[in-house]
Amino acid sequence: MQCEQFEQILEQQDDGTLPKPALAHLETCEACRALSADIYAIHDLGLELGAVGTEPPERVWISLRNQLEAEHLILGQPSVRRTEIKGGRGWWTALQRPAIAGAFLGLVLAAVSAIGYLSNFAPTAVQSELTVQQEVSAVPTADSVFKEEVLTVGSDSIPGLQRQDTAVTDSLRRNLQIVDNFIALCEKSVREQPDNRMAREYLYGAYQQKAELLATATNRSMPGGLQ
Amino acid sequence: MNGFSSPARVGALAAVMAGFIVAASPAQADRVEKHFAVQNKPKITVRNSSGRIQVKAWSKNEVLVAWTNKSGKSVVETEEAGNRVEVATRQDEDGLTAEDSKTDFEITVPVESELNVRTDSGNVTVDSVHGDMTFDTVGANLQLSDVNGYLVVKTIDGSLVCNRCSGKLEANSISGNVSMVDPALESVRVQTSSGNIYFDGSFQSRGIYIMKNFSGTIEVHFSSNDSFDVNATSLKGDVINQASFKPDTHGNAHPASKWGHSLFGTMNEGHAKVELSSFSGTIKILKRD
Repeated sequence: MQCEQFEQILEQQDDGTLPKPALAHLETCEACRALSADIYAIHDLGLELGAVGTEPPERVWISLRNQLEAEHLILGQPSVRRTEIKGGRGWWTALQRPAIAGAFLGLVLAAVSAIGYLSNFAPTAVQSELTVQQEVSAVPTADSVFKEEVLTVGSDSIPGLQRQDTAVTDSLRRNLQIVDNFIALCEKSVREQPDNRMAREYLYGAYQQKAELLATATNRSMPGGLQ
Repeated sequence: MNGFSSPARVGALAAVMAGFIVAASPAQADRVEKHFAVQNKPKITVRNSSGRIQVKAWSKNEVLVAWTNKSGKSVVETEEAGNRVEVATRQDEDGLTAEDSKTDFEITVPVESELNVRTDSGNVTVDSVHGDMTFDTVGANLQLSDVNGYLVVKTIDGSLVCNRCSGKLEANSISGNVSMVDPALESVRVQTSSGNIYFDGSFQSRGIYIMKNFSGTIEVHFSSNDSFDVNATSLKGDVINQASFKPDTHGNAHPASKWGHSLFGTMNEGHAKVELSSFSGTIKILKRD
């Protein structure tokens, strides 16, 4: 079984039971083991959080899903409508909570990072460099969906944002810009020095910080976000 | 007779002056107080969007929550369940400004209390409380004095000043500064992106001190009696050192990094562990006067 097939099975199964070929693949593929562990961790977290929180506009999830599919971070299922996956069965349902959206993004980044890190042990320097470039270019594109949403903070299009403290909104925007600048600097360093482990750690840290900042922005902008 | 001193004119003048004084004074906001009887080590949770939060300790087994909302448009809800007291502000109306929702709190708690504070803007001060504490703010600055416990701080651009803090500190910020003055902390994990980090105090034996930022300055002051291993690295910035370290004798080899500036060494027996890391900021290890 190839990794792509495994990912397809992983996404489609709801009850945590993997077929034997997938289990066999898991035993031999460290990257898929890491991915699987992350997905189950997200699923468990979603169950723990239950039904708390208010859903953001549907366009957020649609655009996020489309973006993740476009970047092949998840596999697309165009025929599956959102209404059909309600009821808390699929892991995607669990992700439809603002509080864990950031956690999800962070875990996706972590998964991509882990895969990229492992890939760096590939035998040729060319492969290593390619992996670095891929992970650097792919990840920020995914979270740009969230960024777009955060930049609308303060607009009336999202319920509850009207009463947002402008100082808070400004602070979130300003710090998002700070983190974005750091990410750009780190990416540059990683591109220039692919074997600089410290630069890479700072890049991952900046991604994580951005995910947390976006989660904070989402939580703070929701009605009752301080609850 | 001087007409200005006539009783009628004096009375009229006094009335006019009184009118000016009343007009010039802001409307006096109502101060509301609530008392909660608690046992030892109560857990107090405060949720506020905007306004000052002052927490201090007393010897009574009682929590006193006093608040002022000048606009009168913010609703304060309190709840007591067992040894848990929760205080939260709520805005019923849409379109309230930050000034409308601003609510100032003065909270007095038993010395041994657990605190959980979440606020967006407005300063938070905590004095002489011993217990675990968590703070989650966006722009609110935080000042902790003489506190002891497991302290967890998360801010976006609020700064943290920790005076004579003891216990353990975990602080994360994006652009806030973090300052630890005369601490007796046995564990420090501080991370800020563009903020500065300042540590001026003793390193406890077996203590672990991890301070990391991206672009700000990390400044650590030590005394000649301190005993610690240090590992300081700035990828793009400088490491300025006033200490006479001997090579790390605890078994970890530290090959010179080809990236950035690094410093490894041991002061005295190396009982504490100090890790300082910056991407482009300057790291200063300075001798205390």
